[in-house]
Amino acid sequence: MIDDRRRINPPSGGTSAPVFARTVKEPEYLPSLRPTRERGPNDLRKIFLQTGIVPSASGSAYLEIPITQSKTTSLIPPRSSLKIACAVHGPKPLPRSAPFSPHLLLTTTVKFAPFATRNRRGYIRDSAERDLGVHLETALRGVLIGERWPKSGVEVIVTIIEGDEDAWWGDSFEGGRGGAGGGWGLLNVLAGCITVASAAIADAEIDCVDMVSGGVAAVVQDQENGKEASRLVVMDPCPSEHRDILAACVVGYLPSRDEITELWFKGDAGAPPEELIEKATHAAAASMSVLREVVLEAVQAKFQGQLPEFKGKSKRKNDQPDVEMTG
Amino acid sequence: MALPSIALPGQFLGSASQYAPGPGTHIHDSNVYASIAGPVITSKRHVDSQSQPSKPKTKPTPPLPLLTIQRPTQNESVLGILGTGNGGGSNILPEVESVVLARVTRLGQRFATLEILVVGDTVCREGFQGLVRREDVRATEKDRVKIEEAFRVGDLVRGQVISLGDQSNYYLSTAQNEFGVVMATSEAGNQMYPISWKEFRDPKTGLTETRKVAKPF
Repeated sequence: MIDDRRRINPPSGGTSAPVFARTVKEPEYLPSLRPTRERGPNDLRKIFLQTGIVPSASGSAYLEIPITQSKTTSLIPPRSSLKIACAVHGPKPLPRSAPFSPHLLLTTTVKFAPFATRNRRGYIRDSAERDLGVHLETALRGVLIGERWPKSGVEVIVTIIEGDEDAWWGDSFEGGRGGAGGGWGLLNVLAGCITVASAAIADAEIDCVDMVSGGVAAVVQDQENGKEASRLVVMDPCPSEHRDILAACVVGYLPSRDEITELWFKGDAGAPPEELIEKATHAAAASMSVLREVVLEAVQAKFQGQLPEFKGKSKRKNDQPDVEMTG
Repeated sequence: MALPSIALPGQFLGSASQYAPGPGTHIHDSNVYASIAGPVITSKRHVDSQSQPSKPKTKPTPPLPLLTIQRPTQNESVLGILGTGNGGGSNILPEVESVVLARVTRLGQRFATLEILVVGDTVCREGFQGLVRREDVRATEKDRVKIEEAFRVGDLVRGQVISLGDQSNYYLSTAQNEFGVVMATSEAGNQMYPISWKEFRDPKTGLTETRKVAKPF
């Protein structure tokens, strides 16, 4: 990493989380903390989504996949929760140095907060963040109608406040193989980025062909009672809940057109990769139902009192429970 | 098929043989789809209506109803606090033929540089760079125009966009009676009032200054 002299930097080797004595004294305690998948293979985690959170941006949204309540007694949360904020600035005039462009120029920036993962991140964007930015840009470029905004640019800035981790944290103590060389959490992060950016773009009223949503599916192989279980395709995998992820796939999906703008495939899925892609589009379609509801709610709030037919019934549902879904 | 009251991007609205696509919609596979989220508005168009410059040409036989998705109008209570650059305003872009209000930022030998603040009736979220070339200041005696006798830095100018211009500037024209300086400050710093098509007078000092004056209503 480039030496960053402008900020107070953490120790270069990183800091390690405390190891509680009980995990060392009782060897069977640590494995008992391992989270397991409690929902069905086709169920998604609950999604919280809201638009209009940054007043100075033309559009913004916040997405959270909260931690499900677990019965463990440990202070360390068993899983991470995904928290992503997105701000859309523009369409705004291009900088003076930029050449003439007859259509909208899209810039995407994805940044992990330094505290977003268990391993501290730097302030300067690293290669994984730049990679996510490129993937997000591909996913969004396919939906924007850029010809309607000549000579202007739009910036999509995504901040990951908490990211999905690559494996269960206890694996690094156990010396298990699940944690090694993962990067599976990035796929969930990308799917969240696509969904939240789509909501923010809809909030910014930038012309789009359709709304795009992200979805993940994975081939997992869980160990049960010490023996290898069969392969299973699951939607919305939480990497800390699975011992071995063999392959995973994230798509950016346009449900009205039945098209895909982004596909990121990782690992070895075995013979038919189509099944995995199919499952990922199903996951994307499921998160779209949340996205639709949220954008509709935001529109009703925006037009409250402006149109006669929305008077009365167009209250933003603040006093009602927020939209939650399970799949 | 009945139209939805609120459409979301990508939502099917109707066949292109039934409706004409207006702002906020697009055509895909000869069907009209929404492209932004908002209430759907159908309007019967008159044959001679000139309001939508980007409207596709239809046959003179009964025109198709125009489908538009409304964008939220500005909240007047917010406008007082927020302006350009402060997150207020809407993300509207200047188009060719749109009438804009702009503030003069720099004078050159051949052109005046302006910052476009208002497009039509809408306050922009951010100012756009604009430029009035010497030959676009007025319609007559174009070769005798001197930029320093037409504008002064800080003046508020009403003009019309004639071109999207080059990489940095929109090209504006003030070559009509209604276009030109609408608010001017004198060298003494006072607000002036127009007295002719080319002069403003300072009410305190009584001095006159030359401008390309916009015709008051």
